[in-house]
Amino acid sequence: MNLFEYVRPASLAEAIAAGAAPGAAFLAGGTNLLDLMKGGIARPSRLVDLTRLPGLGAIERGPEGGVRIGALVRNADLAHDPDFAQRFPAVAEALLSGASAQLRNAATVGGNLMQRTRCAYFYDPASACNKRDAGAGCAARGGERRLAAVLGASEQCIATHASDFCVPLAALDAVVEIAGAAGTREVALEDFHLLPGATPERESVLAPGELILAVRLPAAAAAFARHARYLKLRERTSYAFAVVSAAAALRIEAGAIVEGRIALGGVAAKPWRARGAEAVLSGQKPERALFRRAAEAALAEARPVGDNGFKIELARRIVARALALAAAGTPARLPALPASPFAPVPGGPHG
Amino acid sequence: MTKFGLAQPVRRVEDPRLLKGAGRYTDDIVLPGMLHGVVVRSPHAAARITAIDTAAAVAVAGVVAVFTGADLAAAGVDPLYSAVPMTNRDGSAGANPPHPALAQGFVRHVGDPVAFVVAETLAAARDGAEAVAVSYQQMPAITDPARAMDEGAAQVWADAPHNLAFDWEVGDRAATEALFARAHHVTRLTVINNRVVASSIETRGAVAAYDAAAGRWTLWANTQGGWLVKESLAAAFRTEQASFRIVTPDVGGAFGMKIFPYPEHVCLAFAARAVGRPVKWLAERAESFLSDTHGRDNVTLGELAVDGDGRFLALRTRNIANMGAYLSTYAPFIPTFAGTIVLASVYGFRSVYANVLGVFTHTVPVDAYRGAGRPESNYLVERLVDQAARDLGIDRVELRRRNMVAPSAMPWQTPVGGRYDSGEFVRVLDAAAAKMDWSAFRARRALSARHGLRRGIGLAYYLEATGGSNSERAEIVFAEDGFVDVYVGTQSSGQGHETAYVQLTADRLGIPGEQIRIHQGDTDRIPVGGGTGGARSLYSEGQAILLTARSVIDKGRQAASEALEAAAADIVFEAGRFTIAGTDRGIDILSLAATQRARRARGEEATLLDAAEVAAIDAHTYPNGCHMAEVEVDPETGVVQLLRYIVVDDVGRAINPLIVRGQVQGGVAQGFGQAVREQAVYDPDSGQLLSGSFMDYALPRADDLPDIEVELLEIPCTTNPLGVKGAGEAGAVGSPPAVMNAILDALAEAGVADLDMPATPEKVWKAIAAAEATSL
Repeated sequence: MNLFEYVRPASLAEAIAAGAAPGAAFLAGGTNLLDLMKGGIARPSRLVDLTRLPGLGAIERGPEGGVRIGALVRNADLAHDPDFAQRFPAVAEALLSGASAQLRNAATVGGNLMQRTRCAYFYDPASACNKRDAGAGCAARGGERRLAAVLGASEQCIATHASDFCVPLAALDAVVEIAGAAGTREVALEDFHLLPGATPERESVLAPGELILAVRLPAAAAAFARHARYLKLRERTSYAFAVVSAAAALRIEAGAIVEGRIALGGVAAKPWRARGAEAVLSGQKPERALFRRAAEAALAEARPVGDNGFKIELARRIVARALALAAAGTPARLPALPASPFAPVPGGPHG
Repeated sequence: MTKFGLAQPVRRVEDPRLLKGAGRYTDDIVLPGMLHGVVVRSPHAAARITAIDTAAAVAVAGVVAVFTGADLAAAGVDPLYSAVPMTNRDGSAGANPPHPALAQGFVRHVGDPVAFVVAETLAAARDGAEAVAVSYQQMPAITDPARAMDEGAAQVWADAPHNLAFDWEVGDRAATEALFARAHHVTRLTVINNRVVASSIETRGAVAAYDAAAGRWTLWANTQGGWLVKESLAAAFRTEQASFRIVTPDVGGAFGMKIFPYPEHVCLAFAARAVGRPVKWLAERAESFLSDTHGRDNVTLGELAVDGDGRFLALRTRNIANMGAYLSTYAPFIPTFAGTIVLASVYGFRSVYANVLGVFTHTVPVDAYRGAGRPESNYLVERLVDQAARDLGIDRVELRRRNMVAPSAMPWQTPVGGRYDSGEFVRVLDAAAAKMDWSAFRARRALSARHGLRRGIGLAYYLEATGGSNSERAEIVFAEDGFVDVYVGTQSSGQGHETAYVQLTADRLGIPGEQIRIHQGDTDRIPVGGGTGGARSLYSEGQAILLTARSVIDKGRQAASEALEAAAADIVFEAGRFTIAGTDRGIDILSLAATQRARRARGEEATLLDAAEVAAIDAHTYPNGCHMAEVEVDPETGVVQLLRYIVVDDVGRAINPLIVRGQVQGGVAQGFGQAVREQAVYDPDSGQLLSGSFMDYALPRADDLPDIEVELLEIPCTTNPLGVKGAGEAGAVGSPPAVMNAILDALAEAGVADLDMPATPEKVWKAIAAAEATSL
């Protein structure tokens, strides 16, 4: 019997106190949590509904050109905010490549960071899963592992993080603002999600009761606006999670890359920032061979699980293509099918 | 031309009702005092049940009763059985194991019903279901049909050794062998026809009520015709068929999957009687994946023998067909009789031999799914023909043209029981090639190559054999309110039957379509019906409507002769009026019917025009056509994009071309789903269904598909007076091989010779990578 308490705090302090209780879960858009509850995968004893909390729903432009996105901002509202989409096009593209229009209307920024893996064994209560039930074992390891992680996996867990949104955020040095009983703190998005190690049930740095207030993008992130793309390979044209995805952002001056940013999705339990690959790009002329070298570097530490080695090579190709697309320039308007691998690459192999 | 004339693209008369939310579906049935049922399902693929403790569940507030297999057995409720067990080729009987509505000691697939909890509210029933404690002793599971017969494979049924349900054959084996022995070339191919889930938008559900005084049940259920369900429930409850009334409200998609009696129907009927209150059950989507019959799931070896002139001599197949854990109602029939009848397709084979091995596995039972056996056979044949063309260096279109049965050869008797009444296969093929601009493909391929993409073009010539009940009934009643009511024995689940039947009735009786109402789905009001399935509805029910209309007109002529004081032989019926030949004296049919009804009401002598007839459906039909697909494959990622899709179809006369196009387009989309997206995936060790939700089971979406261009070449069927052949399944028969042949064409230069469905980016990419590795 899944009896649970439902509370709707009026203030942040109340929410933090209510959320600190064992078994409590925060509810915002509910697009993931309610499914998990219906399937018997999540069984919170208390739902703390954050949707009426004041002050978490704004998109604010910072004085120096950054942006602060409240945790309750809906995915669709953010992606369609003209100022935001113009300055952070890869983030908007990632958002629009995720889920369906209906889900994007409901899903929130904070919830996107907190979404759970799509590993089929996690979703099947009859299968062993260390993430769902610490210490139970991992049925995925000996099972169907096609979509499993190729970076940062552990003996205990080979699941991936499913977010598109987080991938360009990681590339662009986003910061997560967190509130808890002890006050507020900030964590780089890159450090927000945890690799599974021996404790795959711990997925983020949040302590019980802590909640996400906002996600900030620094002013420097907007400097990539002219060369920033998100590219997502999936098994269906829309409404599908990434097999692999990549965000690529470049600053190009006088025909050379001043700075490059790369992050990958669908390959690890967290959005995977590829700093080694970024180093390859610095100071170089943007060209195919360079992008391929960067892609090799991005996946240098990748290891297949079972027969999913194909993901490694696919990820390399997606990284190289995302870089080529970014180098060609952000389109004035987002393509009708955002993040599609079928987008032509001007001057590139498909141009 | 009247608004409801034949061959007109009449907009669907049912749509305003359905689109405005006025449809009434099973879940809309709410009865006073109605309880809710929830099924406790097995979480294991194979296990012995050592104990079931329902005490905690019964104690849950709101729970009224909890039933298990023991309760059903104690009450003498029998299991369900397949209606068509096979006879093995050695003459012995194939397996027909019992399918209990609730497990009797063992569970055999994830989702197998174990207990049925009935409560005041759905929430209470769910809580109760969670509190049912079942102790399982897990056993090894087998899910892969290709390994089911292996030594040491886990056994689903103790009395079906090697998991063999049946070993069936058709065709002249010796003659086939002889032709193979003298063949110039033999093309061999093993194809996997992937397991798919029907995924109707409305999930299965039913409401049962029991009238203790009358000893009679009413079951409201989303079926494809309630008569089969009635028959099966009566057998399970060891009672007369008259004890059951099955009412089918509006149905939101079925695709074959809703034809069958299911364990939940038995549970509901049992529970409604036991607790004395109506009970409703509606599947959640997750339950649908685990309990709706699945489709396809064959592993087939096909061999094609060709002579020195590129003419097909013989076809030989060995098909392993996964039945799942139980034999569903028609399951054994699908890969055998239903599937093999089209194995010769449109080609002039001299001999065909097919061996079908039905195997049990610990998976959801498999049964009819849009096309039911015919898509599997067509897929095999059209893949083989393409492979033969590559082997022999003969153009694919030419090889087909060379082997097609000529119109002058009709009626054509095939080596596997088909008797084609009509068909102009070469004409249809050529029309398709012209429409597709097939000959200019090379230039389009070059254009794609400049963008780094591999372009492919593919075709499939399909032949479908419609099927189903050998009779159908119609009843026409002139109602008091001036409307004409037509009662039919088929069952729409979205096809547009109402519109087509209105058109037919309006045409035959000269009555305005707006004054005709179609009624379906009540086994008390309509004593017999064949239901819908096998693309049979229009040619079967159409014939029944024709026959009944003729009977109405005969009665009308009699009534008119009395009303007009003329000899019946002098009365002619035309455009809705009975007139005395050569005069302008006459009466229209609606007025005549009303007059007669009024006379009868006054107790006077009268000839009512109402009539009911059962038409014998002597011959089934052979819709056929040519599908062509053009795709682009991104070799770096394996992503396949469908660029263009055309169909030139011979579905006989089109009563309503708008509906035919819609049916074909829907079928093509469904077949495309199987070819490129959909697959029910089981974990090979635990037998868990991994693709158990729409997040993991990829249905196609609108943006996956281009416009599907459908051209109809109407070559009338000669075995029914309407000339119609049926269009419900055709699209899904033709599209999987057309799409796969196009993808394989795109990959041929990359060295990829074979690929199984679904052609997901990963599989396409891996195939390219493997071919590259081999060529190094």
